Amino acid sequence: MVSRFLRRLLYVTRQGRMAADLTEELEFHRAMKQSELEGSGTASADSEAASRKALGNATLAREDVRAVWIWRWFDDLWRDVAYAIRGLRRSPVFSAVLIFTLALGIGANTAIFSIVNSLVLRALPVEEPHRLVIVSSPSAESRGNTPAWTNGTWEEIRRRAAILFDGAIAWGVLSPNERLNISQTGGEIQPIDALFVSGEFFGKLGVPALIGRTFTPADDVRGGGPDGPVTILSYALWQQRYGGDASVLGTPLVVERIPLTIIGVTPPEFFGPEVGRTFDIALPINAEPLIRGKDSGIDGAYYWLSVMVRLKSGQALADATTLLRGVQPQIREAAMPATLPPQFRDRFLPEPFSLVPAAEGASQLRQRYQRPVLAILVVVALVLIIACANIANLLLARTNARQHELSVRIALGASAARIARQMLVESFVLAGAGAAVGLGLSLWAGRALVAQLSTAATRVSLDLSLDWRILAFTAAVTVATVLIFGTAPAFRATRVAPIDVLNRRGAGGARSSLSNSLVVVQVALSVVLVVTTGLFVRTFERLATLPLGFDAGRVLQVNVDVRRAAIEPANRVALYHQLVATVATLPGVAHAGGSMATPLGGGGIIGEIQLPGAAPSQPEPGPVAFWNSHSTFVNEITPGWLATYGTGVRGGRDINERDGETAQPVALVNEAYARKFLSGRNPLGETVQFVQAMGARPRTIVGIASDAVYLSGRDGVRPTVYIPLAQRDSQGPMQTNFSMAVRSSAGSPVALAPSIAATLMQVDRNLLFSFRTLQDRVDASLVQERLIAMLSGFCGLLALLLAGIGLFGVTSYAATRRQAEIGIRMALGAQRRDILGLVLRQTLMLIALGIGLGVASAASVTRYLDALLFGITPLDPSTFVAVSLLLVAVGSLAAYLPARRATRVDPMVALRAE
Amino acid sequence: MAPDLLPGTLDLLILKTLVRGRMHGYGIAQHLQAISENVLQVGESSLYPALQRLLLNGWVKAAWGESDNRRRARYYTLTAAGRRQLASEHAEFQQIVAAIQRVLNTT
Repeated sequence: MVSRFLRRLLYVTRQGRMAADLTEELEFHRAMKQSELEGSGTASADSEAASRKALGNATLAREDVRAVWIWRWFDDLWRDVAYAIRGLRRSPVFSAVLIFTLALGIGANTAIFSIVNSLVLRALPVEEPHRLVIVSSPSAESRGNTPAWTNGTWEEIRRRAAILFDGAIAWGVLSPNERLNISQTGGEIQPIDALFVSGEFFGKLGVPALIGRTFTPADDVRGGGPDGPVTILSYALWQQRYGGDASVLGTPLVVERIPLTIIGVTPPEFFGPEVGRTFDIALPINAEPLIRGKDSGIDGAYYWLSVMVRLKSGQALADATTLLRGVQPQIREAAMPATLPPQFRDRFLPEPFSLVPAAEGASQLRQRYQRPVLAILVVVALVLIIACANIANLLLARTNARQHELSVRIALGASAARIARQMLVESFVLAGAGAAVGLGLSLWAGRALVAQLSTAATRVSLDLSLDWRILAFTAAVTVATVLIFGTAPAFRATRVAPIDVLNRRGAGGARSSLSNSLVVVQVALSVVLVVTTGLFVRTFERLATLPLGFDAGRVLQVNVDVRRAAIEPANRVALYHQLVATVATLPGVAHAGGSMATPLGGGGIIGEIQLPGAAPSQPEPGPVAFWNSHSTFVNEITPGWLATYGTGVRGGRDINERDGETAQPVALVNEAYARKFLSGRNPLGETVQFVQAMGARPRTIVGIASDAVYLSGRDGVRPTVYIPLAQRDSQGPMQTNFSMAVRSSAGSPVALAPSIAATLMQVDRNLLFSFRTLQDRVDASLVQERLIAMLSGFCGLLALLLAGIGLFGVTSYAATRRQAEIGIRMALGAQRRDILGLVLRQTLMLIALGIGLGVASAASVTRYLDALLFGITPLDPSTFVAVSLLLVAVGSLAAYLPARRATRVDPMVALRAE
Repeated sequence: MAPDLLPGTLDLLILKTLVRGRMHGYGIAQHLQAISENVLQVGESSLYPALQRLLLNGWVKAAWGESDNRRRARYYTLTAAGRRQLASEHAEFQQIVAAIQRVLNTT
């Protein structure tokens, strides 16, 4: 069978040669005939004509040969397809249900796969991506992220890259909260995401400009190259702001009030070097001082650039690493920032460089979502398998109903293979229709999902357009579904014995044992799915109800940027206090406070404290980079900040206006701090001393703040020190933006935004600010968990529903088959309760078997989910018990309904039906 | 013209012919005609489709070679599967012929 099929395929693919062979062969035959005729004395011309005549119709022969190979085969296939379509149209509801179920299953799988595809599999849209490697360090590799380097380090690598490698590129974004403003006035900002790139960036990646040109190394110099300060627009911004007008080339775009000349637009498929992150404009790295002015970090210890090296053709990764490490001492020497205090110098580039393949692009997003997305992919695959089991059962039932037709066909001489093929073709038609609808659904669903991942602060954008991988995946899934749900009915159909059916002796036994095992598998898979769902939902619930340590309602966060205000950096602290004080007096404002770090803002200040007599600090690997055994979070706050957030003071006092610059330095610590560093002693009166350069003064602890979350809910509570902003240890330039929080006295805090905006503008027209409610930030921090809980919840419900339908079908079938028996029993005086038990017993056994199997499999797979769970173990007994009970309940209900109907049967009717 | 062959008989005859060794299509036709003493005249329009059918089933192999009069000709050889097929078809055919004989001989 198989080799015949392969030979057929070979024929189809090599039709041209095969036809030529045949023509030559026939001509040979004719020539031999001719010479035979000549041998018997016919003249040459006559013999040729005679041989042609003897040969007969050569075209017909050719046609017949062709028919041997393909015609019959295709013809049959086509007839099967047409027959299948006719059959499906005869029962439109049945077919629609099947197609819709398949479309949901295949669509969900394709949608999730398209995300996996763009997140994990799709390479950067650049030339020869496999030659790109990221400059990393062993500790960054172990944390799974991409390290950032200073501009000095990059410049030194760049100088050597042309010789050691085939060049290098660098790119960087400013800190996550620092988006650039293209509004030309003060007030609320029009933020855009800027990507700073080196001059070689586009050229080395092989990304051409859609219109205009890309940067050259000549553009990437201080003060701008031949065209002055320049910028390149992303395709999205070009479309959105300029409507795709090509005449923008050469015109200025004002960024942070600096006019930059637009020299080009990037192609639409280029989203930047990081998968999932987009940019609006690209700028040369050396434009940073121009944009950020006195806050520029380009010459200091400002770690913001990712560096990629392009290997020479044929250069091995290990060789390249050795080369780079060879010049590391020189790089380190030359790149040492002059502003770095001596005691920090040994912490500059302390680790050897390492190189990591970068073909798929660097991506924080991938690191964050890879695992959850793969988990969801498994979940939707399970749903599809359950759906297939259901469809297989429905088709089996239909095969049974069609036994009469099938037996007639077999009696008329149809071979078993022919019938099986016909059934498979039907399954393929069903699955094909389902896949087509599903593919359409997935395009929509994938985009909707990705939209859910974006938050106000970070846009997530993934290229989900169809490519061969997605199409191949859908095709593979379709074939797999057909194999799962189509094989059993096809096999069953071939085992129809005509004589049995014509005698109405249904071969029901085999069918029901097959569909019983399908139902057991279904129940077991549903248990696995619902357990998973339960774990995810409870993780979300735990995180959502986690005590954050502050009261998120009625709080508005105002991010204020003073970059453009005409004040000296030294006076910024005073300005911050002034702004807070002014806003606090507004009507409707209960409390106002300011801080340097924003709770749940995704970043923060880490301090290392001196612990006399304790062991030296040890690095503590974990989600927080640079965290060690002596680390504590630090926040610099104004008076009123704790009250605004609703974080209580458990002992001692809050900071107040008297804790000024010249007063004795004080601090508040949280309870976690006391637990970790003071072994539970009363912190009041103890001293906090930071290991830091340039006059970190000892601070007296005057109060204990209750525990509050700093980085994220999942990260939990860590030791935290609160310092009065007025008493900050001065080192380095003051940050240009600070976070103000305002608590409304009643009602939504959003209502306060206009009056706050007006007040801020009165203080300084050049202030920039943006608003966000704390509640929104809390919600956004749970986006991933909510999404997983929602998706798996949906899948779990679907699984329950499908399992319920499966059990319902099996029980009704069993009840129908035993109708006569039930009738007799009832006629002989059996109670309805007995009959109910009779019908239910078997189904309940299937359910029990399925649950047992499911619990065992769930217990062995849930540990892979550990990293995604929070506050719950993968083997959480209450989840397992609850899910088992739930399935017993759903299964019993699904079985009870048909069983009850069986008992309602009039014994006389049941008996007569035979 | 030749009498109609029973369906499938031509395939059997070709397989049997090829037991002698590799042959081209024309040779097969000649051989059948000669052995059957001109009773069986195989037309090209049935010979070549039959050969293709045998190729499709993997019972014969085809390869180009040079004929006795130095022309390019396509030679067919029996495969192992073809030998097995010949044996089983041969047995089957003899049964049928015997059965037909019995029917015809019964008055």
